[in-house]
Amino acid sequence: MHIPDGLLDPITTIVLWIVTIIIMILGYFRMGKMFEKEDSEKLIPYIGVLAAIIFAFQFVNYPVPGGTSGHLVGGTLVAIILGPWASVIVLFLILVIQSLFGDGGITALGANAFNMGIIGGIVGFYLVVLFVRLLNKTSLKKELKVTIATAIGSYIAIVLASFICAIEISVGGVIPIEIAIPAMVFWHIFIGLGEAIISALIIFYIYKTKPEFITTESMLGVK
Amino acid sequence: MKLAEKNRYKWPLITVLTVIAALMLVIAVGFTIGFLSENPDGLERVLIDYYGEEWLENLFSPWIPFLSWITNDYVAGILGVVLSIAVLMGTFYIITHSKKRKLE
Repeated sequence: MHIPDGLLDPITTIVLWIVTIIIMILGYFRMGKMFEKEDSEKLIPYIGVLAAIIFAFQFVNYPVPGGTSGHLVGGTLVAIILGPWASVIVLFLILVIQSLFGDGGITALGANAFNMGIIGGIVGFYLVVLFVRLLNKTSLKKELKVTIATAIGSYIAIVLASFICAIEISVGGVIPIEIAIPAMVFWHIFIGLGEAIISALIIFYIYKTKPEFITTESMLGVK
Repeated sequence: MKLAEKNRYKWPLITVLTVIAALMLVIAVGFTIGFLSENPDGLERVLIDYYGEEWLENLFSPWIPFLSWITNDYVAGILGVVLSIAVLMGTFYIITHSKKRKLE
């Protein structure tokens, strides 16, 4: 879903850059209290590990039927681990590094961060919160509730991000909207399955081994 | 370095090395066993279906990505992981310290 340079019209490009920058500044101020704690430096090595995992998963593409491929975006996954506001900054930085390799454009960075960081991270996170609250009515174990909610939330977030991406590229007239939306959403219905499975497995693994790294547990409201 | 500090970095370091090793292994065997794919992703597929591959390759870009000359997957993978770790740890180190300084 990495938008290359030359695809978006100037107004869309500028607007999405401005929105992304505002959200990141807001994110800095609203980021969880965990970054203000006495021992918050302890988190930094683990942020390094998370960066390695996200880059590695984004680097490799899994096959999707119909001659297409997909890879993890990881917005929702990072949001569950570090919080929704921190996830926008993490995704933005990873997208900057990927753009150095030619994966996603530099002018389109604002749009890519909007789609993958803000839709994938913030919107995805609150979808997970919604599904956790629905699953609280069941007798499932805590880790299963969060795992299932992660799978559903990250899946919807990816399909939604593809829908938004289709609107962005059609605004500039590159592809008519009536073609862009069905095509983008169709492929991401399949690609999103990989996102859901990988995100859910990672969250389940962390819950089983180091549950304290799910720093948003209180925000998720899991019982 | 104090023992507590060594322990703080021990597991993250082991995990990062494991991630890099796993990534190298996946790149090495992934395409052979069909676990990985070089097919275009969702957005590329939509654009190729509409305009063709040549159009997509000739989109105007105001810059040449600094690291696009690296065509070897293994080198790009390792460099990308190392860069991601450095940039993210550096940024969050600054964020953590600036937030603490404000509180003091």
